[in-house]
Amino acid sequence: MADVVATLLSFPPENASTLSPKEYDKVIDGYLKKLVKLPSSVWTKPVGKQNVLDLLNPAVNSIPYLAALTEQTRAVGRDTKKRQELLERAVIFCTSFDPVQVRYDGEQWTEVMNWTLAALVAGDVPTVSPVTTAMLRLDPTAGTFTTLHLSLLRYSFEAGVPSQTLPILDKDIYAFPSSPTKNVPEELYSEQHELSNAFITTKSGYGPKLQPEYVLEYYLLGAHVYIGLRDYDRARLFLEHNILHPSPHNATSALQVDAYKKWLLIGLLSEGRTWPLPRTHNTSVMKSIRSLAKAYDTLAEDFEKREFRKMAAEMEVGAQVWLDDGNMRLVKEVGDALLKYRVVDLQKTYAALPVSRVANFLGFAADTTAHMLAEMIRSGNLQASISQSAAPGDAILRFHPTSTILESDIDLEAQTRRIQDLTTFVRDADRRLQLTKEYVDVQRRAKRAGPENDMADQMDLTWDQPLPELAGVEDGDEDIMAA
Amino acid sequence: MATNGIPGSPAKKMRPDRSTAPAALGPPTFDLDTWASNYGGALLPLRLAHVAVYCPSLARQSLTLAIAETRKGKNVELYVRLCELAKQLGMEDLGASDGEYVARQQESNRRETVRLEGELRGYKNNLIRESIRMGQEDIATHLMSTGGPLPDPNNPQSVHSAGFNAAYQAFGKMRDYCTTPTHIASMTLHLVYCALIQAVSAQQLGLAAATHFNSALANAGRLRTVGVKEEEQVKLTPIASVATGIAQLSMTYYHDAAHSFLNTPFDYHTLGTVHSTDFNRSVASANDVAIYGGLTALATYDRTELIDKVLGGNFRPFLELEPHMRKAISLYTTAKYQACLDTLRRYYSDWRLDVFLGGLASSLGETHVDRLFARIRQKSIVAYLSSYSEVSLASLADTFPPLTNSPTAMEDEVLHLIHLGHLHARLDVVNGLLIAPRSEPRAAAHAEARKMAVEIERSLRLRLMRVNVSLAGLELPRSKAGAGTWGQAEAVGDAGFGD
Repeated sequence: MADVVATLLSFPPENASTLSPKEYDKVIDGYLKKLVKLPSSVWTKPVGKQNVLDLLNPAVNSIPYLAALTEQTRAVGRDTKKRQELLERAVIFCTSFDPVQVRYDGEQWTEVMNWTLAALVAGDVPTVSPVTTAMLRLDPTAGTFTTLHLSLLRYSFEAGVPSQTLPILDKDIYAFPSSPTKNVPEELYSEQHELSNAFITTKSGYGPKLQPEYVLEYYLLGAHVYIGLRDYDRARLFLEHNILHPSPHNATSALQVDAYKKWLLIGLLSEGRTWPLPRTHNTSVMKSIRSLAKAYDTLAEDFEKREFRKMAAEMEVGAQVWLDDGNMRLVKEVGDALLKYRVVDLQKTYAALPVSRVANFLGFAADTTAHMLAEMIRSGNLQASISQSAAPGDAILRFHPTSTILESDIDLEAQTRRIQDLTTFVRDADRRLQLTKEYVDVQRRAKRAGPENDMADQMDLTWDQPLPELAGVEDGDEDIMAA
Repeated sequence: MATNGIPGSPAKKMRPDRSTAPAALGPPTFDLDTWASNYGGALLPLRLAHVAVYCPSLARQSLTLAIAETRKGKNVELYVRLCELAKQLGMEDLGASDGEYVARQQESNRRETVRLEGELRGYKNNLIRESIRMGQEDIATHLMSTGGPLPDPNNPQSVHSAGFNAAYQAFGKMRDYCTTPTHIASMTLHLVYCALIQAVSAQQLGLAAATHFNSALANAGRLRTVGVKEEEQVKLTPIASVATGIAQLSMTYYHDAAHSFLNTPFDYHTLGTVHSTDFNRSVASANDVAIYGGLTALATYDRTELIDKVLGGNFRPFLELEPHMRKAISLYTTAKYQACLDTLRRYYSDWRLDVFLGGLASSLGETHVDRLFARIRQKSIVAYLSSYSEVSLASLADTFPPLTNSPTAMEDEVLHLIHLGHLHARLDVVNGLLIAPRSEPRAAAHAEARKMAVEIERSLRLRLMRVNVSLAGLELPRSKAGAGTWGQAEAVGDAGFGD
């Protein structure tokens, strides 16, 4: 038994930090081959009186620790105490594993993460944050989509802690695992990678094969989280990702219809009108989506025309529809928002006017109106002030001159950085695109047709950005090395 | 009219039911006899009828003129209609129609039609194109002067080939037999003229005139590209411009109309008879063109355009014919809005009695003059306010006296302008002030740039996602008939991962 433990501890070697990625890869390969030969009882049976996990340091011996965890979770059964003990170890593993080692064992890692999620959610204090931490540890950019992204969201909703997924949601998905291209030398897992899609591929075993629906569901659920947090811009992006999901056969998913409904409603909430459809939308898909969401389109139209009576009637008539779609609360909020926008609209026409006139316009009593206006001003929805007077109707509502608020430098910097990061992602996608068979075929044909085809095709359209600015991504790489 | 009666003719009224109270209209500045002597042709009786309907003080005089004029011609139906109108307006003596004349003229018209048709048949048998064309033209001219056949009461479809419509169709039939561009030009000119008469006549009967104005517009356009020699084209172009302008004016495309009128060569003034029609006398005199062009330009052009194109351009000679119009425009360009509006108002009656300007612009009884005046007033208000950052409503009302007596008239008008988006200002109801927005170009540019950045980031993300999805082969597959893709996928998804 002792020699088994010795085998388990034989990696990493003393000089691990001095090894080149290639040597490291070789050593770990040999080590994995040794592990495979071990009987599965090694992982579950106690060594002496100790659990094998106690002998291993999760931060150093991540691979054997992970293997042991996997086997033990499979064998644990329903014993609450044992499960609890195992969960504690899993959580420790989540926060301390060596991300480079784990790249070699994606399958087990995903399995353990899924188990941990289930166990955490079933616990007394439901939480998903250890798994969030683990995901960010493996891939600080969290930008390569895996099924774990979706599982995390699903469980967080089940546990009622959707906001805990924000660290993951706030990162943008920039790639999906793809199978390595033929004839291109494979990159080593052990190397430093700028983007995580280099080591999260279809071969590395992070979850089952992706389906389009997973992506759609991820974005819809993500949008729900942002809607709940009133982050409409981000919700809009997620919903548009969903609605614009490409389909060569003009197929439409029910999830897209759902997303479209929400997209309409939050457009009304955030800007008082529906957002313009992104230019890249597929018209025939849009048509089928719209035909299924007519009630919402009508609602939006009334809203935009500020026809509050018609809208109220529409809201009442469609109550069952909203209820069935689970949009009742959103629709109610939209109804309230209409009132708000009608007052805001007054700002375009008036600089100051008596409250009694506002009340007249809204069809409310003067004191209700005064109260409501005060509430709106307090909540920052209305840039105005109300003067005091004896009767509420005589008070004067004075709109402040609309001035554009200057952006702070921090905002501008953040914006610049986001766009620069995006360029990295685009460049990567571009590279992958150039490796596809279709691209090569077209290039070959173009070459055969001769250079005098079209000057624009020959122009170098790539843009190299200044390198030292890669702040966000570089941080990520440093993390990997530090661990 | 019951006395003579054209059998089966539906009783038609000259006066549209929805006309505004004509009593409100004061007498015009012109002398009716002199005014009428400027015009001729088939439109003259219609013009006089228009005056009679809207201006009570001139009703008797104009109807007398109109009936006498019609009596000279061959249009029996129009004669009967005018007598009817006289009765409606309470002038029984004028309304008594001459039954003998009606019967005689009807008979001779009928005979003439039969004769011409017979001749045309003969020409057709001989297969000489030129004769056929001329025969066709004779018939069409005859139909136009008699007002065309009456509709068959038993066949509602016959309305389309009765009255002036018949003449229009007859002119149209000439096309097949035209051999030279000059023939085509002559035919097109007749079509334009006929369409305009049709339109005016339809308007007076309370029918929709838009189709007729449309065909006038289309034919006037053809008149420019008919392919005749340069020296002939020089005569056609002014007519084409004026006809286009009138049609556009009548269809409320004021800006286009202004453009057409302003580009009319002044030769129009001395054109004389072209292809047996003197447009100057029968449709619109050069003075009319000056008024039409001046009003539409004033209503739709901005200050610099007015100075460059109207006062300074080719249109100047026209304006010299109507000095008060020129004065109004120069008053506007020198920011004397009130004086400009007063000048215009003085001639309101004159223009209201014009058969084109006084035509109805909408079903609400609003005429083109009313609309143009309203536009000019709106423009004046906006232009006046553009030079101030704050104006009190009281001073605004001093400069532009409100149109109604309601205490909130000025306020309502300004609010209406703001709602239409013509006026960029906000109203302080409490102090009665109109406040122009402060512009912060620097901040606005920053905000705009930032908005753009956000927008670009978003669309870049959307496109990147699209590329990625396609690269990974995650596009939505073709949906299977009968089975929801999503339903299946969820089952697979739950089985595939989760616990």
